[in-house]
Amino acid sequence: MSQSKKQANRLAKGGRIDRSRTLSFTFNGQSYQGHPGDTLASALLANGVDIVNRSFKYSRPRGIVAAGAEEPNAIVQLGSTEAGQVPNVRATQQALFAGLTARSTNGWPNVQRDMMGLVGKVGGKFMPPGFYYKTFMAPASMWMTYEKYIRKSAGLGRSPMEVDPDTYDHLHQHCDVLVVGGGAAGLAAALAAARSGARVIVADEQEDMGGSLLDSRETLDGKPADQWVAQVLEELAGCENVTLLPRTTANGYHDHNFVTLHERRTEHLSETAPLVNGHRPVRSRMHRVRAGQVILATGAHERPLVYAGNDVPGNLLAGAVSTYIRRYGVAPGNKLVLSTSNDYGYRAALDWKEAGREVVAIVDARQAPAGDWVEAARAQGIKVITGSAVIEAKGGSRVSAARVAKIDIDTFKVIGQAETLACDTIASSGGYSPVIHLASHTGARPTWRDDLLGFVPNLVKGVQACGGANGTYDLGEVLAEGVEAGVKAAAATGHAAPAVSLPQAKTLEQGPAAPLFQVPHEKPTLRAPKQFVDLQNDVTAAGIELATREGFESIEHVKRYTAMGFGTDQGKLGNINGMAIAARCLGRSIPEVGTTVFRPNYTPVTFGAIVGRHCRDLFDPERYTALHQWHVEHGAEFEDVGQWKRPWYFPQTINGKKETMHEAVARECLAVREKIGILDASTLGKIDIQGPDAREFLNRIYTNKWMKLDVGRVRYGLMCKDDGMLMDDGTTSCLGENHFLMTTTTGGAAGVLEWLELWHQTEWPELQVYFTSVTDHWATMTITGPEARKLLAEITDIDLDRDTFKFMDWRAGKVAGVPARVFRISFTGELAYEINVQANYAMHVWKTLFEHGDKYGLTPYGTETMHVLRAEKGFIIAGQDSDGSVTPEDLGMQWAVGYDKPFSWVGKRALSRSDTRRTDRKQLVGLKPKDPKVVLEEGAQIVFDPKHAIPMPMAGHVTSSYYSPTLDSGFALGVVKGGHNKLGETVYLPMADGQTHEAEIVSPIFYDPKGERQNV
Amino acid sequence: MSNAATFDTRTDGAIPVESSLAYSYHRSGTPRVGPQSRVILRERALLGHLILRGGAIVLDEAVREVLGLGLPGQPQGLVVDASGERSVQWLSPDEWLVIVPGGEEFELETRLRERLADAHYAISDVSGGQTLLELSGEAARELLMKSAIYDVHPSHFPVGKGVTTVFAKATAIIRRPSEERWELVIRRSFADYLYRWLLDAGAEYAIGVEK
Repeated sequence: MSQSKKQANRLAKGGRIDRSRTLSFTFNGQSYQGHPGDTLASALLANGVDIVNRSFKYSRPRGIVAAGAEEPNAIVQLGSTEAGQVPNVRATQQALFAGLTARSTNGWPNVQRDMMGLVGKVGGKFMPPGFYYKTFMAPASMWMTYEKYIRKSAGLGRSPMEVDPDTYDHLHQHCDVLVVGGGAAGLAAALAAARSGARVIVADEQEDMGGSLLDSRETLDGKPADQWVAQVLEELAGCENVTLLPRTTANGYHDHNFVTLHERRTEHLSETAPLVNGHRPVRSRMHRVRAGQVILATGAHERPLVYAGNDVPGNLLAGAVSTYIRRYGVAPGNKLVLSTSNDYGYRAALDWKEAGREVVAIVDARQAPAGDWVEAARAQGIKVITGSAVIEAKGGSRVSAARVAKIDIDTFKVIGQAETLACDTIASSGGYSPVIHLASHTGARPTWRDDLLGFVPNLVKGVQACGGANGTYDLGEVLAEGVEAGVKAAAATGHAAPAVSLPQAKTLEQGPAAPLFQVPHEKPTLRAPKQFVDLQNDVTAAGIELATREGFESIEHVKRYTAMGFGTDQGKLGNINGMAIAARCLGRSIPEVGTTVFRPNYTPVTFGAIVGRHCRDLFDPERYTALHQWHVEHGAEFEDVGQWKRPWYFPQTINGKKETMHEAVARECLAVREKIGILDASTLGKIDIQGPDAREFLNRIYTNKWMKLDVGRVRYGLMCKDDGMLMDDGTTSCLGENHFLMTTTTGGAAGVLEWLELWHQTEWPELQVYFTSVTDHWATMTITGPEARKLLAEITDIDLDRDTFKFMDWRAGKVAGVPARVFRISFTGELAYEINVQANYAMHVWKTLFEHGDKYGLTPYGTETMHVLRAEKGFIIAGQDSDGSVTPEDLGMQWAVGYDKPFSWVGKRALSRSDTRRTDRKQLVGLKPKDPKVVLEEGAQIVFDPKHAIPMPMAGHVTSSYYSPTLDSGFALGVVKGGHNKLGETVYLPMADGQTHEAEIVSPIFYDPKGERQNV
Repeated sequence: MSNAATFDTRTDGAIPVESSLAYSYHRSGTPRVGPQSRVILRERALLGHLILRGGAIVLDEAVREVLGLGLPGQPQGLVVDASGERSVQWLSPDEWLVIVPGGEEFELETRLRERLADAHYAISDVSGGQTLLELSGEAARELLMKSAIYDVHPSHFPVGKGVTTVFAKATAIIRRPSEERWELVIRRSFADYLYRWLLDAGAEYAIGVEK
């Protein structure tokens, strides 16, 4: 690292910087110094750093052009550590802090002399728009290889490869009036709205609020404008109803006045957020604002003129030159030529002169400019060349001269001889374009105004634009318009604003501007040296002309063909010039050509702020049962079921070796079949149904019959959508004559409750019934296996006699001293009791079961074992063996469909359609692989004729498949066309690896077909 | 009686009982309340929670008689008794949440059922399925703003209001029983996620947990 140089371009006085403190920073490995109040860009200019990047396509050296969000070139990569890398930061928007480390994003291997430089200089002529598409896309297979190197040399910044140490979050904001922009118009609007008592948010993207008033030559009440800014900010800061958000960009304007604000809270302080009281505050925050009214006071961006060589470092926007001098105390050069089409551009020359630097000439495109600004310049003795423009900048790594010639705007011609003026800086101004990006996000197309030479926003309901954003530039008018917008917005939200007295603005009278966008050159555009329109995307005037010649007439197509206004740039500097050039080439007017759509985000937003706190452990809710801690402590592996974490299996460590899933599941399965297992079934949805019409409601929502279910009994039910397809299943118990407890699948719980409410509220409001979710209230523990009765008997007062407490009965009593409802239902085919207790007691009951269960071999099992055991019995899982296209009859469950119920039920009509009556529908069957060692793949396609030419007609697919330790064989459930009539037939499953499995169609019940085991 | 089965799910105090946050305290700990704590979180564990369904006209008098508190007169209303221990909250046009000291809920349900007789209504005990969290401290409202899209500004969320809303990526009931205090009613299965969320979002305010 070399020694820091002195700040050669720093002025001795002026600017809003603190010269008493010095900050060191690093750019491209070189160490420099700046002051608090600097941006990285102003500090680089102070240090005379001309080249900050290489251009995207031609790799030409580029310098700083602007002073704000519109900067196209000074886009840097921040970060001294890998974890701290931040790509695509505009140096003009990055406050300087001690130790800041930045690199050019572009320019591999280095910015001063790079690989692509040669291409840019020599090969540039051979890189027309569409160059990459045309040259590198063939052969298509090689694009991936080309792209890697093109990207590396072009450079788009890179993301960190290590975990970000910072945190980010969201804040949900609501306000009456959101003011976007804290310049003259925004502050006036905020003041008016604030005094009305409305809830106001003011967001401004800069380090300090005040906008152009911070570097204005104009006075308010005879005092520097920034004094008024300070006074207004003080008042606003003291208002309880006002939230001031500096360093906050409104990056997206969405439907219904929902605006996202990206607040950078610590990026001006250090690379990662500094610790405060041992805590690291959030680095940036997304404010998600719902605003009653929005005021867009986003100002205007100056348009550069498009002339040859206008990208050589040392070409700047006129306004940026003034900003650097007046706000940062930096004169970015020594000898200035100003090329302008309007009076306001003269400001740069006046500031330059006041800074003690030489103004070579002001080159004004107008024949006879007159007005206060022109007179002021002439009074300073500055040479004004009229009817002319800078037609070409000379120089390689820095401007060395400007070629100036008389031009005729109407005929687009250079007239007369060009004169060469030696200089190191060219400032240009083609007028101002209102910043209409946010208004465009709402979908409203802007309107061209010839008098302003710019687009002004069209506005949707609930939004106003004022000041520069509305094409109003006179300071007095800007302030008045701001106040008016503030008053209107407050009134629209029911707040009356008292009068606001505005300071008197002393402004200079301006004459009319000339409509100059691209400056003609002696050579035709296609042959002239490059005239850049979009510096960030390397789009030239010739590129646009070529695009129109190749037949692209729509501005949207021109944009895509040339890449104008793409990506992070969003056309801030170039779009209007580009449209004007397209209009000229197509022989149309600018409003006829129209504008492209500006899209969110206005400037890039770090992913952290978009994600907020919803990451890592908090990415998505994890739902736990009351027994979760036990499962964790007993080594459970978990499976995601909806948002629930359910134990999947419980691997044991046997002889120092941890079981595989296969081993654990085999052990768990055998424990249930031979002794006893226990499952945490708390996640099943539970809905409490009460009311005199509860039974009738069940009759209509389920396919089967409910009129004769007695208190104390349980029934399995199927629920269809109105298309007759299975939606969910579960058991429902009759708790009282008017009281039922419905269970649903784990994943279906919320959807089923909504379904019940939907039918009740919209179709059958006359039924007297209420539904309440009690899923979380009850913890459910299933003990199942031949020893289940013996274990339960030890800790319950319920009579478990097989003849009084039968299969599909439920009883209330105490289990382990806790009030419990016990349901004798079975999803394993074994004797089973589902014990339900209030969840707060669950852990006690569970542990008590284990205290007594050890001697019976009580084994905890998870969802995988549950799946194997239920599949052995042919019990379906809704959503696994059904997929929204399966009827109860396809599943062979005709027994659970009551066609003769007196009132219709959901799905009945659809089940009588000819399609649902087809006999060749895919029907659920068992599949027994011919080779018992084969476990078929779930999802594998089934065919009848494996010798059929590809594509084979597909006859079905496997829905569930496992290895059964009880049968010592693979087995599966699947759906097969006409399967119910094909028992005993062989089907084939051709696999991706070339082998074909054979399986026999069998009954889906593989184990205990008579159901004797659950009835013991 | 309404032909519904009532069931007292509580038992004697000797049996160990775990609140919705038992696992979370074990897993994530309980940051101490200190002088810098600008938010204090306290679980009001093991209270009695009942969901009442029915028309306001049907329920109001019975609730007033049995509980000594009327139904809130407005949607999104919350009424709390003088002790602060019993409350009734509007949840939807025919749905109310009643929270009472733990152990009172079964007697309350029984007496309400006696009083309501054959009217059409439903009462469901959900005491095991949810818990009440209290948030106090000067940054409590900002912590809510980080978590919920609902507008919690005092002009929009006065004392005596309660809403069911999206909270982080789960659901929660937000209530404001007094000037200084906010309450969250959260479901048991989401409690750990929400506890971790609150600790994380509250870290910048040095959130402390009172037990």
